[in-house]
Amino acid sequence: MSSTRRTYLRDGAPVEIAAERVGGDHWRVRVGPSTHEFRVASLGNGGVRIVPVGAEAEPACVAFGVPTGRSFMVRVSGRTYTLQEPETGPRARGGAGGGDGTVRAPMTGTVLKVLCEVGDRVTADQTLAVLSAMKMEHKLLAGIDGVVRTVAAAAGDSVEQGAVIVEVERPEESS
Amino acid sequence: MSKSPPFRRVLIANRGEIAVRICRALRELGIESIAVHSEVDRRSAHVLAADHAFPLGGNTAQESYLDVGKILAAAKALDAQAIHPGYGFLSENAAFARAVRAAGMTFLGPKPDAMDRLGSKKAAREEAIKAGVAVVPGTEQDDGDAALAAAARRIGLPVMVKASAGGGGRGMRLVERDGELAEAIAASRREAKAAFGDDRMIVEKAVFPARHVEIQLIGDKHGDVVSLHERECSVQRRHQKVLEESPSPAVDETLRRRMGEAAIKLAKAVGYDNAGTAEFLLDERGTFYFLEVNTRLQVEHPVTELVTGVDLVHLQVRVAAGEKLSDLLRGLDLRPRGHAMEVRICAEAPEQGFLPAAGQLRLVREPEGPGIRVDSGVYSGWEVPVHYDSLLAKLIVHAPDRATACERMTQALRAAVYLGIPTNVDFLRRLVDDPDFRQGRLRTDFLQRKPGLGRGTDVPPDDLVLAAAVLCQAMSPRAATAAGTGPVGGDGAGGAAPRSTAVWRDLAGLRLFGNSSGGEK
Repeated sequence: MSSTRRTYLRDGAPVEIAAERVGGDHWRVRVGPSTHEFRVASLGNGGVRIVPVGAEAEPACVAFGVPTGRSFMVRVSGRTYTLQEPETGPRARGGAGGGDGTVRAPMTGTVLKVLCEVGDRVTADQTLAVLSAMKMEHKLLAGIDGVVRTVAAAAGDSVEQGAVIVEVERPEESS
Repeated sequence: MSKSPPFRRVLIANRGEIAVRICRALRELGIESIAVHSEVDRRSAHVLAADHAFPLGGNTAQESYLDVGKILAAAKALDAQAIHPGYGFLSENAAFARAVRAAGMTFLGPKPDAMDRLGSKKAAREEAIKAGVAVVPGTEQDDGDAALAAAARRIGLPVMVKASAGGGGRGMRLVERDGELAEAIAASRREAKAAFGDDRMIVEKAVFPARHVEIQLIGDKHGDVVSLHERECSVQRRHQKVLEESPSPAVDETLRRRMGEAAIKLAKAVGYDNAGTAEFLLDERGTFYFLEVNTRLQVEHPVTELVTGVDLVHLQVRVAAGEKLSDLLRGLDLRPRGHAMEVRICAEAPEQGFLPAAGQLRLVREPEGPGIRVDSGVYSGWEVPVHYDSLLAKLIVHAPDRATACERMTQALRAAVYLGIPTNVDFLRRLVDDPDFRQGRLRTDFLQRKPGLGRGTDVPPDDLVLAAAVLCQAMSPRAATAAGTGPVGGDGAGGAAPRSTAVWRDLAGLRLFGNSSGGEK
């Protein structure tokens, strides 16, 4: 019987996972260097009930999972995890600024205001634009200190989730 | 309440969970329901729940649920005798209520005159002052940005800048520093303009620390108004309620009676004749200040229903048809029983600054069990549109006491599955498990003072989680396909139908479209 294999990031590092049916409801799952054995029952709809072999007296674990683009969303014992596959594309960013200088629309909406111009010197967490979406205003913040290189949207523009709004360049890169 | 139905057919000028909830109540009363819907909502839960459906066209609220002309045309085409406005959209629009009446139908809400007199924060303040109900110090009118800023400085910071026509936290901001005043006024004006079509503002002293406690009222056309007690709604984020409960941990029988009497006095002064809510700030000394009246059914009305045993939508329909509260409530013990609590399940990512989300809900499994009520507007495979607010469903629990209600809520949240897009379910569970929350130590800035509840702790997935994720995919081939299949339906054998019909395979038999309303695509 062939195994089901996936690779997800844990603390930024890829972990290979391979699940293989040993027989009946008995599965062997390799997670990185470790091997685990489980009794598994399908609940349909992407749901499973899992009991580690040898720990049958412990409470069972119930999980539901669905794929969402390049990640897998799984709810295990009442807690949701979004597992990323390695090398996902640049992620949309909104709210608090992140690592790079590209400011993207965190969701589909309308640009209300653009608060910077090409050449402006900006600091991390400075509001560069305001987006209106889901009936609320969202501030789009600079992720880094730097100089505005591109302003790709104007007030009134409709933008898709992930669209680049502003690009900020670190000063040393611009020289 | 087993009498002949007061109306044959009622149109619901709303969408989502509240429209579904109203459909249910109408069915119980023997009344046919009419759903209206935008283009993107044509397969939404409220359309499935209703007896009849009418397409309004368009996608934005302005071109659908806020279009008075289209809604009245729908009511005429399908021969509605009354319109229930739900909450939000046109529910507090007196001009709409008048237009409904002028078209010969009944508006299932208060009379337009009472809406005028209580509907705007400014008018309601003036009525409260007249009726002798204490109000928060502030301005009564908008004389422009400069005058508002001057008033704010005169009253003394911190102040609240609020849309005069506002509600639901939109067009409202707390200003603590002078330098923030101008931007707060401008931003609130923009939000108010977009949300209510009216950008007038008022400024009020921010009462801090305080609880948000509101009184549920129901009036009839014979001058009677009854209080159905308080709801505590202090757990708010950006002035949007997150969790509501009844009774309030801070309100005893004496205070309950005093607040109820104040609310009734105000309602009677304007001849209030349907369901409404008087909102108050309650400070730590037990002094309460009137804030505003919401002249409609509230999102959080179920907690009142669970502790009093009444159905507020039934009452709204019956009093609008002219029945007397003294008859409708005869023999009922309305004293609060036990403790009820509601959380709002929203498509948003608390861990990413509460960013709203849209997209396909691939798997929905709502909790059930004794003392658990779910007012939901979603189902597996449904696409959450970007055009409206992010509320998916409300989870409401009822238990003999607050501690048991908290435990019931945390277990219900544990069992809740809404997968495919980010939701606030895990955040709500952290909130309900918070020790200060469990103690009932609530203030309107409760969440602001606990930013950790939103962020959560970023626990990396352990081996069990990673194994579970792969086992889900190994055991259920359909869950493993990344794009386009509906997640419901138990065949598990692949067979990926096109996305547009996968939903219908699962809902076959529930609802057929293409009735006399026509135009359904």
